[in-house]
Amino acid sequence: MTDAIAKPEQHPTPSAGGGARRVSAAALAVSFALWAYLVYAAPLDSVQGLIQKILYVHVPCWFAAYAGFALTAVCGGLYLWKNDERYDRVAVAGAEVGVVFCTLGLVTGPIWAKGTWGHWWAWDPRLTMTLVLWFIYLAYLLLRSFTEGSTRTARFASVYGIAGLAAVPLNYFAIELFGGAAMHPDNLERGSLGEGMGWPFAAGAITALLAMLHLVLLRVDLERRRAAEGPSTPDWASAEGD
Amino acid sequence: MTAVVARNLAKRFGRTVGLDGIDLEVAVGSTTAILGPNGAGKSTLLRLMAGLARPTGGSIEVGGEPAHQRTARARVGFIGHATGLYPELTARENLIFAARLRGVARWRERIEAQLEEAGLTRAADRRAGDFSRGMAQRLSIATGLIDEPEIVLLDEPFTGLDRVASDRLVARLQALRQSDRTLVLVSHDVALAARLADSAIVLRRGRVAHREDGGALDPQALENAYSAAAQRDSS
Amino acid sequence: MNALLAVLWKDLLTELRSRDRAIAMLLFSMLMVVIFHFSLPGGATAATRAYAPGLLWVAYVFAALLGLGRSFAIELENGAIEVLARAPVDRGWVLLGKTLANMLILGVVQALTALVFALFFEMNLLPVALPLAGVVALGSLGLCAVGTFFAAVAVRTRLREVMLPLLALPFYIPVLVAATRATNTLLETGSVSFASIHFLLVTDGSYLIASFILSDFVLDE
Repeated sequence: MTDAIAKPEQHPTPSAGGGARRVSAAALAVSFALWAYLVYAAPLDSVQGLIQKILYVHVPCWFAAYAGFALTAVCGGLYLWKNDERYDRVAVAGAEVGVVFCTLGLVTGPIWAKGTWGHWWAWDPRLTMTLVLWFIYLAYLLLRSFTEGSTRTARFASVYGIAGLAAVPLNYFAIELFGGAAMHPDNLERGSLGEGMGWPFAAGAITALLAMLHLVLLRVDLERRRAAEGPSTPDWASAEGD
Repeated sequence: MTAVVARNLAKRFGRTVGLDGIDLEVAVGSTTAILGPNGAGKSTLLRLMAGLARPTGGSIEVGGEPAHQRTARARVGFIGHATGLYPELTARENLIFAARLRGVARWRERIEAQLEEAGLTRAADRRAGDFSRGMAQRLSIATGLIDEPEIVLLDEPFTGLDRVASDRLVARLQALRQSDRTLVLVSHDVALAARLADSAIVLRRGRVAHREDGGALDPQALENAYSAAAQRDSS
Repeated sequence: MNALLAVLWKDLLTELRSRDRAIAMLLFSMLMVVIFHFSLPGGATAATRAYAPGLLWVAYVFAALLGLGRSFAIELENGAIEVLARAPVDRGWVLLGKTLANMLILGVVQALTALVFALFFEMNLLPVALPLAGVVALGSLGLCAVGTFFAAVAVRTRLREVMLPLLALPFYIPVLVAATRATNTLLETGSVSFASIHFLLVTDGSYLIASFILSDFVLDE
């Protein structure tokens, strides 16, 4: 009888199993179709023309980017509290999916900006905030990949995620109070949206969140399967607390 | 009365198992030796007792409280592999720092006493960075004991010591035993451990392979258990 | 509290004996001033005085990052970080002690750098010396609070000190924004920008509280 030093642990199947993924995939497909139709059918903005439609992608991305970070931070807190590595898996999933949406938002934003104001970039609060968020995401992911030992990685990442949550409002107010003039169109929020423009935005937000949910579920499952296999580098390398 | 209690203690590092269900009771005033081949989990167990790591399963309590809590950490002195000394500071200054960090009340007298005990009184104002290994080891032990903890954990303290230094350390440990301190010692030297300790456990791959207590330890039995553990390991 | 003073004393004494951090930081700042001169159109003179506050804070940030990274690297060298982690106190006090020590060391470097700046840009700092010191201190508190905290994290990654700027910069932005605004206002008008000071206080406070609460997790294994 031989027992190996590295015993593959049998983790309990997380609640996000195949069933949940199928449901989220279906919901995503429906939502996406609806959103695509609404974007197509939406009236052209009288001032900006066709380029305004890219906002139907940009705003939901921005939404998902922040939601992703909130998820990462909250799961980080839960991990520190409960010491259950499943929370850390959701946290890393949230970060990896969130950074994709953040990147998408950073790409679509300037495209729209160039089309409407003629500048690729502006240092207004919202765009700058998205950039700062992007940097926080990257720092989070780099921290994870350069830390050795999954326990230490999870702990450091959780701490950074929570700290990042504090950085977001501070950065926002700093830029708003002391930064450049605001050029972001405030009418994106509510109120002066033109007739028939509210629905595509709503559908977009829902689609983005569903996409995020689905991708997070996929990523968590991937992480779970990785954890069930053997380690790639010996974790005890970091065990002597250096 | 128990000083340290481990119940089904487990420690995983990611997917690697460090400790796998350790049950251990260390009685107050006793000296326990933790033996075993490399990778068995001896240092891990000691570090969990010291509050330097948290368990992933089971529990480890010192004086009735979880080992990593502040109040538990206060009762435990830990002397690990690294010296924990600051090379730019003198021996005396290193001791002052250790004393004040751990909230020792009348540290001036304590420090002189520790310097004396460690045989470092004349070297007290020399930089710790200039010390020989033996001297650094003695200073490290002095800083670890500066707050006179009830429980003292030592991780292979004899490594790299010459005969003289080794004998000195044995004498120091005997003195600690006599002052009713609880000692837990990790060692590779089975014979030495048998001499010093009144309880012993042999670890193998994170589990207790052999256990002995009740005063006089049988060095041969321990030696056999150690060899058995080491042998099975390499197969 | 004892622990805070112990760590503060130890860090300052160690630095006094070796002086390696302070010298490196100072040299670095001086180099930056020279580089600034060569990278500004027309050089660092009275004509480009408008850039001085911003550049000064850039120099401060980089000097800080250099010194803060080292502050924990030192602990790692002889396993002293375990001694700190095992202190029978709230670990936040240990971090706070280090933060204060770092602030003091950085402060010396900052004062000398400001003098050199004043020299090159032909500014007279004397009338605003006291409020300027206050603004710089407030800004440094933010830089050091965040920097010391993340230094404890950074040194235990594979990139070590190099990781620190990556982690800290998103947190430095609010401090920089407010501090440069305050410095600017001070140098141009001689008056204090209360909005900036207020913001710095809020930011510093948030960073100190957050790092105190999270310090437990950062000094763990």
